[in-house]
Amino acid sequence: MSFASYMAKRIVRMVLSLVAVSMITFTLLQMAPGNFADIQRISAGAAQFGGAGTEDMVHAFASRYGDDIPAWRQYLIFMKGAATWDFGPSYKYPTRDVQDIIAQGFPISATIALIAVAISLVIAIPIGMFAALRQNSPADHGTMFVITLGTALPNYLTGVILVVIFTLTFGILPSSGWSGPEHMVMPILALVLGPTAVLARYVRSSMLETLREEYVVAALAKGGRQSVVITRHALRNSLIPIVTVLGPLLASLMTGTVFVEALFRIPGLGLFFAQAAASRDMPLLMGTALFFALILMTMNLIVDLVYGYLDPRIRAAGGVSRWRSQKRLSRQAA
Amino acid sequence: MTNSLLEVRDLRTDFLLKSGRLRVVDGVSLTVEPGQALAIVGESGSGKSITMRSVMRVLPKTARIAGGSVRLDGRELTELPERQMRQVRGRQIGMVFQNAMEALNPTLTLERQLTEHLSWHGICGKAEARRRAIETLGDVGIPEPEKRIRTYPFQLSGGMRQRAMIAMAMVARPSLLIADEPTTAVDVTVQRQILDLLAEFKARGTGIVMITHDLGVARYFCDDAVVMYAGRIVERAPVRELLARPSHPYSTGLFRSTIEVGGRDRALAPIPGAPPDLAQRPPGCAFHPRCERAESVCRENEQMLLPLTVNGVSRGTSGRPGAVREAACWKVAAHG
Repeated sequence: MSFASYMAKRIVRMVLSLVAVSMITFTLLQMAPGNFADIQRISAGAAQFGGAGTEDMVHAFASRYGDDIPAWRQYLIFMKGAATWDFGPSYKYPTRDVQDIIAQGFPISATIALIAVAISLVIAIPIGMFAALRQNSPADHGTMFVITLGTALPNYLTGVILVVIFTLTFGILPSSGWSGPEHMVMPILALVLGPTAVLARYVRSSMLETLREEYVVAALAKGGRQSVVITRHALRNSLIPIVTVLGPLLASLMTGTVFVEALFRIPGLGLFFAQAAASRDMPLLMGTALFFALILMTMNLIVDLVYGYLDPRIRAAGGVSRWRSQKRLSRQAA
Repeated sequence: MTNSLLEVRDLRTDFLLKSGRLRVVDGVSLTVEPGQALAIVGESGSGKSITMRSVMRVLPKTARIAGGSVRLDGRELTELPERQMRQVRGRQIGMVFQNAMEALNPTLTLERQLTEHLSWHGICGKAEARRRAIETLGDVGIPEPEKRIRTYPFQLSGGMRQRAMIAMAMVARPSLLIADEPTTAVDVTVQRQILDLLAEFKARGTGIVMITHDLGVARYFCDDAVVMYAGRIVERAPVRELLARPSHPYSTGLFRSTIEVGGRDRALAPIPGAPPDLAQRPPGCAFHPRCERAESVCRENEQMLLPLTVNGVSRGTSGRPGAVREAACWKVAAHG
């Protein structure tokens, strides 16, 4: 199968998935108790409803969807816009289009996510290798114990601890805002711990599995130095399973980490997503949900392409799933 | 006295377990001359692979050489610093494995896997290494080696893969080749080709140790054989003698349980029972619980590996100089 037809198939599948995601999200939103106007009224107090702010809002409503149209028509109108990357104005921020909110928030969330995951990888690979090479030794158990603590500590708690240390005690880092590199340090640190722990565990188990492979013995039997055999023969092959976790991990961080963004008051995408869900802001919620789905699927596509790069067998089979099914068939035949 | 190519004396290897040391290779001695092939025959778990991995000092983490001597061209290997030992592996001793699919790295091209140790050992530069790799691939009968060298192992058929692995072991022209069940995982038609290929290297002067449980393979091209059971050698003989007149009851049992083409008249008689758990080694001869000829002496005392003699004349060596015939069995000694 050619690469072009492979990509075409994947993209068709992505579009179908996006339609499904939109339908499910919209249905769930319809089923959720309350609507945008109710929630605004409750949170702002009944007296304010009908004031200047809501005038805008009602106007935005009317101009885009008309008054009191049935839900299915709202959906169709939204999707018609969405098809051309026009999600329309948000209910809550009537002066801004959802795609502008995404365009503004996503780079911030993505920057934090990319840096955090990159740092996690750089730390996790040596830690995982270290532990694997000393399997069942005190060093291995000690490392894995610390790593487990890392997984158990939620990132908002790490964030709070960081604020206590760097802002309240030493006063060297600002605790909130988003205007310079000094604002990035603590959110990234807070985010690094969890993925590092997860990745280090994966690297360790994957490395242990690879070290048992006969081609590692064969390379040693050719006179390879242990370090050379590990880096040239074992590492690359043990990274293949890591790529699988890396895709979704990156996607979930890139689309915003609600707690950390809220804690450090970072205008990332996670914050908007959370607000949209809480206030039943249909265009914003639909827009961000579709965008999240798109990012996740793109990440999975990239993962599969990286797979092919790392493992020529997958490249030859034309994708991971085909390779897996071929492997299954040949195993059944054997 | 001139040195043998490989001379193993009283080699002992232990596994370090939580419960203590477990001896898996116990006093093994063997000799290989250039251009000769020795078969190590035995069931799985008899210690044949660990013996040869001890020779190369490529052992599982929990295994330790406990004693004995391994000499390659007269040089003691057991005490060699790791740095110099690396120069022996791959360069002086090549190793071929049971399954090329597993012994070749699936994500690296043949070129990389055939040439990398040439540069590790500083044998030659990259271009020369490539040339040698292509030449060796041709030697092992891979068509269009210039093209094939760029492929990955999975792109080759089973037989070609096995040949490529042999090429990987032979590209540095080692004087000793250890082949660990090299024909077990391939089709019968390929088996013969692989054996013929190994025989060619043998004819060019490479000493070969063939680890196998298949007596047919041993007979096809080995000169001598040792039979291993529970970590020890129980019989040593020229292969033809061993097959014609096995003397240890275990060897007899192995022979009778082997399916052979043209051997229809002979009833298959599997050896009853299973190899012993080394942690609970039977007292006396380790084989006695499965031996139909066992007597009280076999249950109490172990017989050493002794030469077979008839009236003081050594027996069953076909008169070949250097050939030895020994067995470790009370019954055989009594009959000798």
